[in-house]
Amino acid sequence: MTEQIFDVHFLLETFPKIMPYYPITMAIVGVALVFGLLIGFFCALIRIYHVRILTTIVNIYISIVRGTPLLIQLYLFYYGIPISLRLLNAKFQTNFNIDGVSPLWCVLISYSLNEGAYQTETIRGAIESVDQGEVEAAYSIGLTGAQTLRRIIIPEAVKIAIPNLGNNLLKLFKNTSLAFTVSVVDIMAEGKLIGSEGYRYFEVYIALAVIYWVSCFVISKVVDVIELRVNVAGKRIAR
Amino acid sequence: MLELKHIQKAFGDKHVLKDVSLTVKKGQVVVILGPSGSGKTTLLRTINFLDGADSGEIVLDQDHYDVTRIAKRDVLAIRKRTAFVFQRYNLFQNKTALENVIEGLVTARKVPKVEAITRGKAALAKVGLADRVDFYPSQLSGGQQQRVGIARAIVIKPDVILFDEPTSALDPELIDDVLDVMRDLVDDEMTMVVVTHEMSFARDVASQVVFMAEGNVVEKGTPAQIFEHPQEARTKQFLARILRD
Repeated sequence: MTEQIFDVHFLLETFPKIMPYYPITMAIVGVALVFGLLIGFFCALIRIYHVRILTTIVNIYISIVRGTPLLIQLYLFYYGIPISLRLLNAKFQTNFNIDGVSPLWCVLISYSLNEGAYQTETIRGAIESVDQGEVEAAYSIGLTGAQTLRRIIIPEAVKIAIPNLGNNLLKLFKNTSLAFTVSVVDIMAEGKLIGSEGYRYFEVYIALAVIYWVSCFVISKVVDVIELRVNVAGKRIAR
Repeated sequence: MLELKHIQKAFGDKHVLKDVSLTVKKGQVVVILGPSGSGKTTLLRTINFLDGADSGEIVLDQDHYDVTRIAKRDVLAIRKRTAFVFQRYNLFQNKTALENVIEGLVTARKVPKVEAITRGKAALAKVGLADRVDFYPSQLSGGQQQRVGIARAIVIKPDVILFDEPTSALDPELIDDVLDVMRDLVDDEMTMVVVTHEMSFARDVASQVVFMAEGNVVEKGTPAQIFEHPQEARTKQFLARILRD
């Protein structure tokens, strides 16, 4: 049997081999999304209300995350966490288990922090573009600052932020393909493994491209539906 | 009822309110006139602390508040007893007319929802919008939106309602709808402070007309005094220009 130039059969067989690792990819996305939003929300509030020292810390954090490649952030955590633990152990006679730090943890932490920085900017922008008139109206009917935030600002800001949050989510999903560099076995890592076994990299990368593309397509459709739902209520009027 | 004493306010080095004092008795309608930049809107905003004054005193019923060292708690207390109607309505865009109206009751005053809805519907009926209860602001005309704004103000049964040019963002044919609602409130003896350019409204319903210019009260009196026999040159000049059209 002569060797095929392009092996369709291999390509199709790749999907069921890769998909068992899809939950790992989803887990990274899920964790980074949730913690990214939490970090983003609190950092956005810190920046908006100019909480003294904290604002500086947040600014430095965002500047570093946005100013360095995700790949390097990943490596910094991958190598940095064990080294930090060893330093702690040496200095304070503590007994942290260095081997207990799994690569997945490093990925989850670094992706959450990365996502948090970008979400901060999105959320801050959304909150700041809420109509000041509505905020004043809320104060004028006797709402406290916290009530105004909860009842008026956040619902409005969510509406404004959704398209950008959706973009962040797509970026995050695709960025998970870097996790293999610190030996986390997600769909990308497994794909590379399969590719190296049969020396059929091209077929595998097509399979991976399809998986990422279909996933992102579904995500963007879901975001569209949410956006539509939210906007039916208060279409902004030209004033 | 409401008394402002020596209110001063500056934005940067611009003195917007130089030394303004004003007394509003219960059930009175005080209309504030003046050219733009005279500080009339700012004065209104200092009353419920949308802009905090730099110095002066606010007396609401028996309660004296020194604006320079007022506690957050007192600001909230004043806001709960006063209501504000905005030039650009400032309705909550993602809430229906009814939700706009009951927000101040349910969230700020912890009125039970059922009672709030009853009161909210009554307030909307009063401004002629009983059939627009579930409409969003974007589905309402400017005049209707402003009437929702007024319903949002009256539903909390405030001691005084502050109107900041309530009709100046409206198309001419919608102005009367809003003014009619306001006249209705006058008949109910609602205490009102109104910044407006509607001279006929001022002439018909004001208990007191206050003319402001450059951060000062230039002249005050009954509508007859101000419109028929203004004393100050500044007032005469302003009225001559306004009443010409």
